[in-house]
Amino acid sequence: MPTSAADPAAEPLLRIAGLSAGYGKIGVLHGVDLTVGANEVVALLGPNGAGKTTLLRAVSGLLPWSGGLHFDGRDLSGAGPRETAKAGLVHVIEGHRVFTQQTVLDNLLLAAYDMPRGERTARVEEALSYFPEVAEKRHERAVALSGGQQQMLAVAQGLVRRPRLLMLDEPSAGLSPVLVDRVFVVVRRLRETGTAVLLVEQLIEKALELADRVYALARGSIVLEARTGESDLPHRLEHAYLATTSRHT
Amino acid sequence: MVESIVLSGVAIGCIYALIGIAYNVMFNASRVFSFTAGTLGMLGGILGSLFILRMGMPIWFGFILALAGGALLGVVTEIVAVRPVLKSLDQHLYVLSTLALALIVQQYTAIEWSTEPQPFPRIFDVARGGFDQQFWLPMVACAITIVGLEVLYRHTLLGHAFLAIAEDNYAARALGLPERNLRMASYALAGVIGALAGFAGGQMLFAFFANAPLLTFYGFVPVALGGMGNNRGAVVAGLILGLFQQSANFLVGGIFASVAVFTVFIIVLLARPDGLAGASVRRRV
Amino acid sequence: MTEMSAAQSRPARASLLGSHAFVAALPFLVLLIVGLTLPLFAGGYWGVIATRACVYWVLVTGLNLMVGFAGQLAIGWVALLTLGAYTTSVLAAGNVLPPLHPYLALAVAGAVGAVFGLIVGLPALRLRTFYFAITTLGFATIVTQIALAWASVTGGGVGVPGPIFPPPFDSQWGFYYFCFGLAAICTWMTANIAASRFGRALTAVRDAEVAAEASGISKPALLVTVFLFSGAVAAIAGGLFASLQSYITPDAFTIDLSVLFFIGVLIGGRGSILGPLLGTILLTVLPEFAAPLVAWSTFLYAVLLLVIVLAIPGGIADLLDFKNRRPLESNRAIIPRPDLLARLLGRDRDPGALTLEGVALSFGGVRAIDGLDLEIRPGQVHGLIGPNGSGKTTTLNVISGYYAPQRGTARLNGTELPALVRHTRARHRIARTFQTPRLVGEASVLENVMIGGTIDGNGTFVESLLSLPRHRRDEAKLRETAMLALATVGLESLAAVRADRLQHSELRFVEIARALMLRPAFLLLDEPAAGLSAEEIRRLGALLVAIAQTGTGVLLVEHHADLIFDICHHVTVLNLGKMLAAGTPAEIRSHREVVNAYLGG
Repeated sequence: MPTSAADPAAEPLLRIAGLSAGYGKIGVLHGVDLTVGANEVVALLGPNGAGKTTLLRAVSGLLPWSGGLHFDGRDLSGAGPRETAKAGLVHVIEGHRVFTQQTVLDNLLLAAYDMPRGERTARVEEALSYFPEVAEKRHERAVALSGGQQQMLAVAQGLVRRPRLLMLDEPSAGLSPVLVDRVFVVVRRLRETGTAVLLVEQLIEKALELADRVYALARGSIVLEARTGESDLPHRLEHAYLATTSRHT
Repeated sequence: MVESIVLSGVAIGCIYALIGIAYNVMFNASRVFSFTAGTLGMLGGILGSLFILRMGMPIWFGFILALAGGALLGVVTEIVAVRPVLKSLDQHLYVLSTLALALIVQQYTAIEWSTEPQPFPRIFDVARGGFDQQFWLPMVACAITIVGLEVLYRHTLLGHAFLAIAEDNYAARALGLPERNLRMASYALAGVIGALAGFAGGQMLFAFFANAPLLTFYGFVPVALGGMGNNRGAVVAGLILGLFQQSANFLVGGIFASVAVFTVFIIVLLARPDGLAGASVRRRV
Repeated sequence: MTEMSAAQSRPARASLLGSHAFVAALPFLVLLIVGLTLPLFAGGYWGVIATRACVYWVLVTGLNLMVGFAGQLAIGWVALLTLGAYTTSVLAAGNVLPPLHPYLALAVAGAVGAVFGLIVGLPALRLRTFYFAITTLGFATIVTQIALAWASVTGGGVGVPGPIFPPPFDSQWGFYYFCFGLAAICTWMTANIAASRFGRALTAVRDAEVAAEASGISKPALLVTVFLFSGAVAAIAGGLFASLQSYITPDAFTIDLSVLFFIGVLIGGRGSILGPLLGTILLTVLPEFAAPLVAWSTFLYAVLLLVIVLAIPGGIADLLDFKNRRPLESNRAIIPRPDLLARLLGRDRDPGALTLEGVALSFGGVRAIDGLDLEIRPGQVHGLIGPNGSGKTTTLNVISGYYAPQRGTARLNGTELPALVRHTRARHRIARTFQTPRLVGEASVLENVMIGGTIDGNGTFVESLLSLPRHRRDEAKLRETAMLALATVGLESLAAVRADRLQHSELRFVEIARALMLRPAFLLLDEPAAGLSAEEIRRLGALLVAIAQTGTGVLLVEHHADLIFDICHHVTVLNLGKMLAAGTPAEIRSHREVVNAYLGG
């Protein structure tokens, strides 16, 4: 699985090996292997309950898990959300959860919490430049934004850190088609500027248009991995989603 | 007469309000109520008397040390009594751990300091009477705290971070905010506010270990009536409580005043378990 | 397992139960013997200590039910001790009425205690944990202040003399035996409650409230009973305390004392009788061994409490639970026995259909359910599927009464099911399981399943208290039925194991066994296959089909498409709160819109 422009044999930006995680006694993910190369957009697809959100939470350190995580040449296994974010691995969580009682600007400044004071404003402006309609409302409280604008704000929060790899959890959820396109335009722009993206999505067609590679996750394991150019992909995906284990044994 | 009721009522109401705010700050940081809020108030008075009267330090220095003592107890509370139980699914454990810690500090104080109320120093060397410092010190302390918190929450990134943790803990963690340090800092802040209440109120309440259970209860009433985590509600409810209590004291005498306050409190709380104003921030579940 | 081997194992099980009961009773027997023979080897001083321990224990038996079993943190319960002490003393001394005989005074104190126990405890039904704890503290302070102020009756700061009980209880050892006798009776009574459906219901309300409601347990009724009992015994303990002290003043009733009782329960461990008993004895006796540290006793109690909470939250009871330290077999398989269902469920009913008509429900601005019609027929497995957020679990919650629909109704056989009165669903024989298993972790698997049969008991609280025949019949039948339910789901070998030691998949089947105890006309399952292996899912499916075959209507909310398509007679697909499609599994699989809804786009 070569990365787009670099040496095919190079170490990918993100390498996950044997990731197993769950909630309490319930095991959700069983030994997942996944890689993302620098400058790649990788889509993670799968039916509800497959474990996609759990996977992102594990990678960014919001959940305990077992397995190995290598990012940008460093071993980040067991790192918490603060370390992964500082290392350049940023997770934008599902559900456009922004701090509704605070202004757009404050929401972004919080994302820049760890940075030296002088840099904060510059980074915030940089992130806002991707989303002009949110930039207009910078002094309004986040509760005044529409759901779509809040989602864009959440992505902007992720961008404040200038991530090497941005993980987006269903950024299109609850958004109108127009706004979905806006978000995806941003994702394309990110890839061009050298940010890799791991995208969890429900909208298969849109995700396939955008991504370089795709993984399908079902019932806690990877059931398919392919490049998006490959033929017959939609059919193979459908099959992977609805396949019954009993029919295969 | 009325003037006396109003002065003492507002003064004691400010002390109760400050303890209520201490409860709220801890609650906003951790979704947990701690029994140590009243103990912090007690400590403010005890430490003030200890440093200034017994050890002869200058007043401002004793004041700072007393606040530092409060911050210390706040941090200890977070580390020892709150953090270990937050991970557990058992909701009730924090009630017990904070109760245990509060009792440990109270009992130690009772034994090592005294079981009798000890004098608290005059802060400003002015004759007693009229609008005396024992009344306006708590009011000033309350006003400074409210303004200070307002500045903190509105205009500093640290304050914004506190608000973020309170509103949506999970999103704050995901954003990479240092959740644990922020919680400790909140508890330290609550410690300072509680100790401030005790120090400013020292001339009314003296340096007395039994202030702890008193403030634990009366400091919680503003929280219960004002709404969990709602500081403005706590101030309003605290003032009402103080005035009501002092009026009842003058009209029917100490014991019946307590009964009256308690009865009204229970009735109002049963009618509105979430307080009269409701919680300040609707937390994401 | 054939019928013969089942019969062979039955006598073995019975004797195991018998020997188990003896082992459990042994510590009590030892304490009983030590207590009865105490005057033979202990001097007068220790007699007083022992009497005090007995008096404290009488109060703590009631407090244990409130705090340890029901989980209500009544930190200020000393208010009831104060009340009982003063009531008994004042009535016996004749300050208000002509002097009453001490026994009568004690009995009246008990009645007064019951009433005030109810008053002090009642806020627990409305308030959060911390709020309730604070109100009890307030009560304790108020009662002491009233005792101080009402000098004409209580003697104010001067106090009143305590009652003196008539011979043979007027001597020191005589009084000791009186207190010991009462302590023994209270121990026996609360042990009976602990081993009754009331005790189990209390722990269910404490640890798994939604499951308790689904099993038909009404929290208010249960708690009121406990408050009355606890208040009564605490007040009686107060009367004994007053007699022991010979003279009582308000400052004998400090918060320290209240904390002592409270810590005694918690050191002992929740859900146990022996633990708090040992804890109370320990706390009463401890200051005597650490004589110079007497002033520090409350300090040490608080340290002990902190250590317990942080290090051994289960308390002494947990330390003594040797049974649950034995390792469990590692490769356990769950093998249900659907053939036992006929015996377990019987075939007695045609309950009609369970229907939802035009139900709509919004949370804030979000339409969780947007006009839904659903019909679950007896004898069929009805699947309910849909993407996340489609309203599947919300629908189940509406049927089981957790949410009230803003429009439309839920009906059982034409009669409307009232919303929000959750605990009545059990009486309608509507049972359910939960997305995350809700069980009492500290109780055994068998006890958890027996909780499911709580409403089938006929005995009253008093009958359980006194272990009267009807209570014992109820218990025996309940135990037998629960073992049968466990055998049906294939888990009877784990009956005596603490529930929190089980694997996730086993917990799911325990929940099903508990639900089956209601002999349900309708069984609602919330994603039961989550976290199960493929083999376990197959067995679950076979079990559910068999349950439906006995006449139960099964509603299966699920993500696992395989399970749905394999066993459902009828499938409804939800999307965004509306019905997207309904039909047989074959029809749904090929339905274009359904496939799209799952795949998005």
